[in-house]
Amino acid sequence: MQVEVPGPWSPLLGRLTLDAIPYTNPILQGTFAGAALAGLIVIGCVLYFKKVGYLWREWLTSVDHKKIGVMYIIVGLVMLFRGFADGLMIRTQQVIANGPNAPGVLGAQHGFLPPFHFDQVYSAHGTIMILFAATPILTGFQNIVVPLQIGARDMAFPYMNALSLWLTTAAAALVMISLFVGDFSAAGWVGLIPLTELPFSPSTGVDYWMWAIQISSVGTTLNAINMIVTIVEMRAPGMTWFRMPVFSWTTLSTNIIGLTAFPVLGVALALLGADRYLGTHFFTAGYGGNLMLYTNLFWIWGHPEVYFLILPTFGILSEVIPTFSEKPLFGYVTMVAATFAIAGISWVVWLHHFFTMGSGPDINGFFSVATMLVGIPTGVKLFNWMFTLYRARITYSVAMLWAMFGLFLLLAGGLTGMMLALPAVNYTVHDSVFVIAHFHCMVLLVVASAFAGVTYWFPKLFGFKLNEGWGKAFFWTFSIATIIVFAAMFALGFQGETRRLDWTFNTAWKPMLMVEEIGMILYVVSLACFAIMLVVSIRNRAKNRVGADPWGTSRTLEWLTPSPVPFYNFAVTPQVNTRDELSWRRKHGLESAKPAGFEAIHMPSNTGMPVIIGALAGIWGFAMIWRIWWLAGISLLGIVVCVIIRSFNKNEGYHLQPQEIEAMEKNLATGAIVAEQPVRTHLHHVEAH
Amino acid sequence: MRLKPYLALLPVLALAACSSGDYRLFHPLNLIATQEWHATIVDTIVMLLIILPVLLVLALFGWRYRKGAGAAYDPDWSHNTALELLVWGVPFLVVAGLGYYSVKTIYAVEPYNPGLLQKQEAADPQSVLNVDVIATDWQWVFVYPDQHIATIDQLVVPQGSVVKMRLTSTSVSNDIFIPQLAPMIAVMPGMLTKDTFDAPALGNYTGFAADFSGAGFSWMQFDTKIVSPADFTAWTQQASASSDQLSYEAFQQVAQPHANIGAKISYFSSPDPQLFDKVVAAAQAGVVYPVPAALTKSIGSNEK
Repeated sequence: MQVEVPGPWSPLLGRLTLDAIPYTNPILQGTFAGAALAGLIVIGCVLYFKKVGYLWREWLTSVDHKKIGVMYIIVGLVMLFRGFADGLMIRTQQVIANGPNAPGVLGAQHGFLPPFHFDQVYSAHGTIMILFAATPILTGFQNIVVPLQIGARDMAFPYMNALSLWLTTAAAALVMISLFVGDFSAAGWVGLIPLTELPFSPSTGVDYWMWAIQISSVGTTLNAINMIVTIVEMRAPGMTWFRMPVFSWTTLSTNIIGLTAFPVLGVALALLGADRYLGTHFFTAGYGGNLMLYTNLFWIWGHPEVYFLILPTFGILSEVIPTFSEKPLFGYVTMVAATFAIAGISWVVWLHHFFTMGSGPDINGFFSVATMLVGIPTGVKLFNWMFTLYRARITYSVAMLWAMFGLFLLLAGGLTGMMLALPAVNYTVHDSVFVIAHFHCMVLLVVASAFAGVTYWFPKLFGFKLNEGWGKAFFWTFSIATIIVFAAMFALGFQGETRRLDWTFNTAWKPMLMVEEIGMILYVVSLACFAIMLVVSIRNRAKNRVGADPWGTSRTLEWLTPSPVPFYNFAVTPQVNTRDELSWRRKHGLESAKPAGFEAIHMPSNTGMPVIIGALAGIWGFAMIWRIWWLAGISLLGIVVCVIIRSFNKNEGYHLQPQEIEAMEKNLATGAIVAEQPVRTHLHHVEAH
Repeated sequence: MRLKPYLALLPVLALAACSSGDYRLFHPLNLIATQEWHATIVDTIVMLLIILPVLLVLALFGWRYRKGAGAAYDPDWSHNTALELLVWGVPFLVVAGLGYYSVKTIYAVEPYNPGLLQKQEAADPQSVLNVDVIATDWQWVFVYPDQHIATIDQLVVPQGSVVKMRLTSTSVSNDIFIPQLAPMIAVMPGMLTKDTFDAPALGNYTGFAADFSGAGFSWMQFDTKIVSPADFTAWTQQASASSDQLSYEAFQQVAQPHANIGAKISYFSSPDPQLFDKVVAAAQAGVVYPVPAALTKSIGSNEK
């Protein structure tokens, strides 16, 4: 049954041999040394400070939506850094390898990256940034914020929530392992077909790409179910649909997209897997395969995925802008309508990713107009944010600066997006770097609002603010770098530079490539500012302690809880009276009203099962990639056994007693932090609830 | 804040740079590219009619209503029916207008059968030049079925002609693009796509592969020349004097993965008259040209 693969294969190690480890490549030697050093420092610190138990009890086995959210964001930031390093290599290669006389080192004809290596770098850059940086960061925000915003104690399925996180983490780990064991896909983050088929990509690179995405998309789908159920079922009393904060609305719409779109990707990759592993011909050019089918399936997921990223981004902007404008969001109802309009239209525009495939004028015409329709609700959103600023009282703190820059990027991305929506224009810039610059405007809008979100919600979780001075340094360097790099890239698009070039053959591109490189250097400076901001903020945390509402002008329910939020979120489930509940309570002097009494809270117990299943999924992925069948079988069996064990687990959590809550709430009032969850015995057979 | 006046200079610099010939898309050469460039301009202007005022108002509100400026503050204003109708209405009108314009221009430049060139084709069928284009890993083979010649990495067409290309690929997907002349269109194995362009003025251009097709992709440029009809005839005669003949067997050698480093142009006489169809049929029958492992290490390793 197994298809022929080039190179050796042994029953014990599959395709894995010593040659798979690229120890002769100086770039990877340096990367490995750096990664190993960083890893040793982290492990050393954990051991030195004796935090192994703490890490296991409080983080790895946690089912607390806030801690899971924080871990999602940490995974996302680590991958963002990796993806940036890839971006830096792409830009540096293109500026060095310019023109026929460009020098070449390390086996490259021109520049320092031979094509096969360069192709892996750009493929990894795209895969990582979309699926392992942006997606986890936004999922993290949704995890942290949504239950708090709707007045819930946790997500609907806390255990499944942890499982989603660890599946995503296992997939991210596989992408990282591909650096040092074997190679990564050299066929683009979209999996250019039929380049991803075995004859053209015989190594394990495409398999790394395919299985990593497959595993993470299971995590994302589970998370989508969890989010939808949480929002539909777990809103606090009084929180009617039209009292729900816009971020929660965008989370709902985005996860409807996630739940419906990710299975399409799963099917497309499974069929590709069948081609690569079983010798079928779903997407080959020959034997009746249809390669255009893959392209369609990929973008039927891929375009909704774009909105999967952009809608929560719009949600963050809709929270940050009113808070720092000291005003409600303008046009709340139209904002919600626009959110769902975007989500709906996102399903009927996928073909604009390949207007040049020769579909004919009628089909291209349909998808052109459909694509433009997205501009209507997006325009509505932009106008609504603009009118929110009217007669406002705007504070330009770091979060607000990011949000304003986000609006600028949305305008730039919108302008160029409307250009690309015209097939007549698209025919001239379709595969050019103009497209790259356009969608980087959009994904950097995601990044800008992610940083707005980090700055905005950080004190809620950790009880102290991030340093504003370094935050501003980070903001200005990052945003100016963005403008420099992508203004130059738009220019290069008009000069006719196409994407994914290992060797930029035209010397006329040199000046703009140089400008891009200058912008990249500024990005490096901004990363340093970000690191300093974190260090300075953590060092000075005692001075910057904050109360429930660190900004003083927050409007939604999450700011009603103490900062940092205790593990049970709300001591008493809040009764919601209006939209923008906190600002209503503030107006009526109720924001620090104390409850008359407490009731017992039913809490879920921590469990190590998700992290174990995640690890097994990672091992299974690795075994599938290297075709180590016995290991794949054992790890898959392990997952099944774990799921069965979990199904018979009678642990239904525990009850936090009223006197305990009272004691903890008193403690909070005097400024102490509830750091550790009390260890307690399991509840067996909690009465039906 | 002090950076702002200098930032304002950036667009000026950009405009100055745009006047140079490097910005190929700003200097279309034929009817098709001119229409595409006009569409770019029309779309940009219409969008800027919205975006520039929004930018200005954002800047104005952002400055005027900053905390401490003492401007009017209305902490409850969040709804205005007329304004909300307007914010839906304005984008709707813009999209309606641009949508109509988009569909109209698609038919004008549609690469299979552009409306712009139909009149010329009908009036002067003799001016149509058929070229069969086959993308290999990683070269372009141009077959002139009527002139009975073929080239590698060179496309020569007579001035005044309408060039109708049929496109296919031996093994992986690609995209063909000649900036200023021919729109991008996908080139796929086992499939036939078409691209059409007119050639009104003499000149030398560079066409290239636009969609990634593997390690040798960066080297997939081809020389594009528009020459006078007399020169074209002379050129075809010169090419047909080539002793290399492009039989299907010879083509199978050409189609082996190879990056044309140094941009060597080759000519062939008497190409197999069925060559294009044979390549399509072969891909459909599962013929592939796998990339040898050595090429993934060094792209120049099989340079002849």
